[in-house]
Amino acid sequence: MRIGIDIGGTHTDSVLIDGTRLIAAAKAPTNHDNLLESINQVLHIVLAGQDATRVETLNLSTTLSTNAIVTGNTDPVGVLVAGGPGIAVDTYRIGDHFHIIPGSLDHIGTETAPLDETILKEAIDACLTQGVKFFAVAAKFSPRNPASENRMREQLGERADFISTGHLVSGQLNFGRRIHTAYYNSAVWKTFRSFSTALAASLRGLTLQAEVNILKADGGTMPLTRALETPVQSIFSGPAASVMGIMATTQATSDLIMLDIGGTTTDIALFAGGQPLLEREGIAINNHPTLVRAIHVESIGIGGDSLLSVGKSGVRTGPHRLGPCLANGGPAATLMDACNVLGLAQLGDVSLSHDGLKALAADYGMDSRQLASEAVDAAVNAIAAKIEALIALVNSKPVYTIHEILEERDISPRKIIVIGGPASVFKGVLEDRLGMDVEVPTLYGVVNAIGAALTRTTSHLTLTADTAKGKVSAPMLGVFRSIPRSYSLDEAVEEARNLLANDLAQAGVSLPADEIQITQADSFNMVDGSYTSGRNIRVVAQVQPAVIARLNSDSAVDIQMAATR
Amino acid sequence: MLKATSSLGVIFFPAYDWAISSSHPEREERLLYTQDQFREEGLFDIEGISEHRPLRAKDQDILRTHFCFPSVDRICTESHRISAGGAIQAAKLVMEQKTRRAFALVRPPGHHAMKVVHGNRGFCNINIEAVMVEWIRERYGRKRIAIVDTDCHHGDGTQDVYWHDPDILFISIHQDGRTLYPGSGFPEENGGPRALGRTINIPLPPRTSDTGYLHALENVVLPILADFKPDLVINSAGQDNHYSDPITNMQFSAQGYARLNDLLKPDIAVLEGGYSIKGALPYVNLGICLAMAGCDYSAVREPDYHADLLREEPETLEYIKQLCGHLTDTYFHPQPGDFKKEGEYFIRERKIYYDTEGILEKQREALKDCDQCRGVRLIQTSSSHISTCLGIELPIDCCPACEQEGYDAFQRTDDDYIIVQILDQKNKQYRYRPGK
Repeated sequence: MRIGIDIGGTHTDSVLIDGTRLIAAAKAPTNHDNLLESINQVLHIVLAGQDATRVETLNLSTTLSTNAIVTGNTDPVGVLVAGGPGIAVDTYRIGDHFHIIPGSLDHIGTETAPLDETILKEAIDACLTQGVKFFAVAAKFSPRNPASENRMREQLGERADFISTGHLVSGQLNFGRRIHTAYYNSAVWKTFRSFSTALAASLRGLTLQAEVNILKADGGTMPLTRALETPVQSIFSGPAASVMGIMATTQATSDLIMLDIGGTTTDIALFAGGQPLLEREGIAINNHPTLVRAIHVESIGIGGDSLLSVGKSGVRTGPHRLGPCLANGGPAATLMDACNVLGLAQLGDVSLSHDGLKALAADYGMDSRQLASEAVDAAVNAIAAKIEALIALVNSKPVYTIHEILEERDISPRKIIVIGGPASVFKGVLEDRLGMDVEVPTLYGVVNAIGAALTRTTSHLTLTADTAKGKVSAPMLGVFRSIPRSYSLDEAVEEARNLLANDLAQAGVSLPADEIQITQADSFNMVDGSYTSGRNIRVVAQVQPAVIARLNSDSAVDIQMAATR
Repeated sequence: MLKATSSLGVIFFPAYDWAISSSHPEREERLLYTQDQFREEGLFDIEGISEHRPLRAKDQDILRTHFCFPSVDRICTESHRISAGGAIQAAKLVMEQKTRRAFALVRPPGHHAMKVVHGNRGFCNINIEAVMVEWIRERYGRKRIAIVDTDCHHGDGTQDVYWHDPDILFISIHQDGRTLYPGSGFPEENGGPRALGRTINIPLPPRTSDTGYLHALENVVLPILADFKPDLVINSAGQDNHYSDPITNMQFSAQGYARLNDLLKPDIAVLEGGYSIKGALPYVNLGICLAMAGCDYSAVREPDYHADLLREEPETLEYIKQLCGHLTDTYFHPQPGDFKKEGEYFIRERKIYYDTEGILEKQREALKDCDQCRGVRLIQTSSSHISTCLGIELPIDCCPACEQEGYDAFQRTDDDYIIVQILDQKNKQYRYRPGK
């Protein structure tokens, strides 16, 4: 059996699943000051009358790291960076302990200026004097040569409680993002560790012996032991849980769109051939782009509680929210009130919606039904425009080969899956506006927790080889070794597969070899003067997000609410 | 975070699956390290700098620019269509005001491709800037456009395409043709009889460095541009003036390139040559992008850069200053050329060698000396590979008489040309004569 828990902004949801059958579902209010309490509440409900020892896996999507960052409740981090020529390192300044250490590498990893040991020592001393215990070290082009990052790490030694090292955080090139990813990783480390210790104790109390995984923004999981090294990967996993929930509850095999309509916002994600599309490089945290892989989710400020207003250009819906809709005791007319007026919904006290819209419409000499209908149109049009822009963006993403320009198929979704509170209300209007089939899965109330429960571990790896220099590297695993001149692309692909499989095995995850996808395998003839000096090989391997089972469509159960405190 | 003060669209297309041959300078590896540098520097994370994919040039895009014999498909492969399509995408971004500027960082290059093409010359099959310029004029009408060719080799192809076109100002700054391929580009090459002073050549001596190069820019190019007042400035941006380039002899640096673009302020730049793929391109391209976007480029520097070792000899600098003192005259007071005339036609007879493919072309051009318009142009061309073909060009301001003459030649059935192509800029007709 598997348990999925999704800690959201308002509610904490949980499900218990046996194979493809949903056994129990629960909801509790999220207590942001004590997430464990919310977790325990839902666990008690879903495990009631069950043999807890039969639970093999517990997957948890938590807002812990995200909230720590958003509320500024993070630890100070000593950031040590070596940049050199190019865009000024100061551009990436973050936190109050940012130190630039002279020293540089070029794009093939050759040291072009040595690391300044004196300044490094001074920087470390300055941080320690100010009580900094957590560090991030990053050097430009460290995935090509980790020596300077390793040296900075070595100099810190035991004096740091935790160090995030650039090339181990991501093997992808992007210095600024690497700095910020390493910074946030260290900034949330202590918070995450305290939480995970408390979680483990709490699970023991429930006689749960399940392996615990943490959901990542890319829709996959990582074992808790890995999450302790890279807690930054746990941020923004909520939207990913929704997306995986769609995969687990519907026949998502074609190009399709997912809409998650909430109170304030609607999240939009795109699937190509049933596979959710990822951000090209990584998600931004607090406006700082990072290398944290994430499902590409666009948000728009339209939801059930979006405020209605009338301006010069007509009726507007959103992006503001003052509170719930009038029908639920809110202060002003919202999109849900408009739906009530049009008979699309019967939420709360419908008469309050009618009165409110009548009053608003009268101010502008309008009829309340007309206002309601224009408000719904405005909302649906805004969502449609965002969907069209997202499809256009994906279909015009840069490509680098003639083959891709000529052969690559455009994504053209014909179906939308809508989840979230007001999902069923918008089914008809979305169908009319977009001319696509709209499906509202029956389990939408806890779809996020289902997604969390059924998703599997993801991982990826970048491998680069230069046979002229006789080096191969897989930075994230700290692999930098010598190779013979004869090292081939086939060997590189094989090595990438093995490294990824072994690394997952070490973390306790076993996967069939064919689940490892090779997304890039290029070999460039390198020429020096007029003769071939070697080959430059680039391989990217990944285990993509996927669900281990699709839920039985007839396995609906009642969602039990935890008693409010 | 960094922010561009003038938004820049970059069409980055390295054509990782195309090479002239596996060890040719024009091979898959050429832009690999530039991409590594861009990625590591996070160029596309800068607010206002965006990355775009190329379009693909269609037959009509090419036929409105070139006479292609025997056919478009025999002249260019998909790689050339996409490279030209990259330049078109750059123009589209700028003309539709999606971005203030654009840089088509694409390969293969095009500036050695002339009006008539039989094959590959100097790594070029079709002239990607010219295809772009014609795409612009087709959609946005007549424009005054300045093309400044900053490749180390003389842009003889672009010069040839616009030799008779007074709307296009072509300026080439390059290593002296007496010391480098293609061996042309002297100050007296100054444009055809209808476009005199619209072709400007600035041949710089070998081992010119930043000071000398920028002297030519500031003292010749910029004053001429200030007078010409173009609607658009295009930088035909070769990167082989770099001190590390393996096939040229100049001493220009990444800082020099950035400064050049900062001063020139091109609306559109299009990559041409440049084959120091590890030592120059990553830094030069970064410098150009930052300068075009109005970002600080002062810290862009090659690891082995030493200003003192690269600085030109005083005599070289003196020579450049002397030369530049006279060159503005070629624009402001061009000398009437020694144009050969037969009856009412200006005649040019030439032999053109296509180095890459070993083709020798023989060409005879007749331009009507018309007082109503620029004159219809008839080009007879044959090569070591194909017997005589005819290209007919009607200018944008073509008068009825020239139009009649052009179409008469196109529709004749009693001549011996194996292929005839018409390039009618006035009525936007670009086609081959249907087969007999």
